[in-house]
Amino acid sequence: MKRREFFKKAAVTAGAAALGTTAAEAGTTHQPIDNRKISDVAFPEKRPLITYSDRPPLLETPREVFTCALTPNDQFFVRWHMPDIPTYIDPDKFTISVNGMVNKALKISLKELKEDYEQVEVAAVLQCGGNSRSAFSPTAGGIQWGNGAMGCALWKGVRLRDILDRAGVKKGAEWLAVRGSEKAAYYETPDFIRELHLDELDDHVIIAYQMNGEDLPYLNGFPVRLVIPGVYSDSWIKMIDNITVSDKYEKLFFMDHAYVVPDNECECETPEKKFPKTKPIYRMNVKSVIGYPTNGDKLTLKSQAVVRGVAFDGGAGIKTVKISLDGGKTWEDAILDSGKLGRYAYRTFRYSFKPKKLGKLEIMAKAINKLGEEQPLAKDIKWNHGGYKYNGIDVVTVEVV
Amino acid sequence: MKKIVLTTLIALTPMMAQVKEKIEVPYVAFPIKMGKGFDVVQANCLMCHSFGYIINQGRQSKAFWRGKVDKMIVHFKAPISEQDAKIITDYLFEHYGNGKEK
Ligand code: HEC
Repeated sequence: MKRREFFKKAAVTAGAAALGTTAAEAGTTHQPIDNRKISDVAFPEKRPLITYSDRPPLLETPREVFTCALTPNDQFFVRWHMPDIPTYIDPDKFTISVNGMVNKALKISLKELKEDYEQVEVAAVLQCGGNSRSAFSPTAGGIQWGNGAMGCALWKGVRLRDILDRAGVKKGAEWLAVRGSEKAAYYETPDFIRELHLDELDDHVIIAYQMNGEDLPYLNGFPVRLVIPGVYSDSWIKMIDNITVSDKYEKLFFMDHAYVVPDNECECETPEKKFPKTKPIYRMNVKSVIGYPTNGDKLTLKSQAVVRGVAFDGGAGIKTVKISLDGGKTWEDAILDSGKLGRYAYRTFRYSFKPKKLGKLEIMAKAINKLGEEQPLAKDIKWNHGGYKYNGIDVVTVEVV
Repeated sequence: MKKIVLTTLIALTPMMAQVKEKIEVPYVAFPIKMGKGFDVVQANCLMCHSFGYIINQGRQSKAFWRGKVDKMIVHFKAPISEQDAKIITDYLFEHYGNGKEK
């Protein structure tokens, strides 16, 4: 069957997926939508997840997974841009081409990648720039994610720097265009390419072939993807097949129009008056998400309850996570894990308390990083047209019974 | 003899993928409102992504939907005629609209 017929077939089935809820109050940022159902359809190598689209696959991790420091591969979120992703790759034949302004163009096989280069590991959070987009009002264009377009994994691979050194970057080269193998259904749609400035390549930037000790799942970019710790996931190109070194920056749709925020102090604007100058989103801001309890859970009166969650930022590292049970009037420190996974990974936190009053209880979590940056209240986050970089204080409402 | 086979196997293991055959991405049924103009939506909007992609924007104004259709044409080069663009906007606004022009 051809793809077009596939789409037709998919299109006419009436089914159960829910239409996105509309924003609560116009004009104020609020908690992201959190009541989305887990689909009953499991995608390849995944457990059933919150499913926004099948072509391209868009899957969100449910909140309760955010109690662990490493997100299991089969629950890790999935986000593609184009409908046409290779569904089979022969690991013996696959190569990554390195070309352009290099002394020696390379075609690196998976075997060479695993055997001829120094192997390195880094634990890092992968988060979509549009994670939690459903918090913005009016609706910002794009997938209306809840909090689950993020995950943290232990990535294993080879430093991009080492590969470029082997190819030998020519004098005057400044840019690196990394292309993924996903293809649009229509030939004129721009390819998904990311450009990196050579200065951005520190030792933590790797081409990874392993995630949490396993092959990358197909839907997370098998066989190799870029890992740029601390940086939003639109830069973490999946299924890399080509790297071109150049002295010129080419205007690209996904960098210059899609993943951008207003280039002003607050990175904000209004729907009526969009800010004319934009910049690509890049380093992640400080954020935390409560994994347990989740909205609507019941806690038992006077019985010890333990709030758990994860916190991260763009690489400065988390200093504290604070919890409030009184609407933000008073805050107490949660206990953080040892931090042994490093500054780019989730820090898990836990906070135990005894619920003292029956009825509704709001649990708030706020992370503060080592630079002193802290999460703002949702309502204080200003709008941007792409709905990027939401990092409001997380709030979960439970019932004490 | 057996031992040798085993060691070669181990040496080869890292080269074998976890998934050794073509993956099949399942189809998910998204609810679609039938109505005037649906055939035009089907012909123009499902070539690059599923219906799920379109409807999870929530209920929106007519201008919002027109903007989306234009975005598809301008940025993603969707080959859609002005006449079809109008029909699609009307369909989306009728079924996924919030009643407001702007
Ligand atoms: C030529 C391919 C193509 C066609 C045809 C197309 N789209 Fe899209 N559409 C895209 C791409 C590419 C994206 C964005 C992909 C991404 O960022 O993940 C997108 C995204 C969207 C989004 C998400 C919101 C946003 O702003 O990104 C909506 C809604 C949408 N399309 C609606 C439509 C409608 C309605 C039609 C029919 C008029 C249509 N599309 C036809 C390629 C297309």
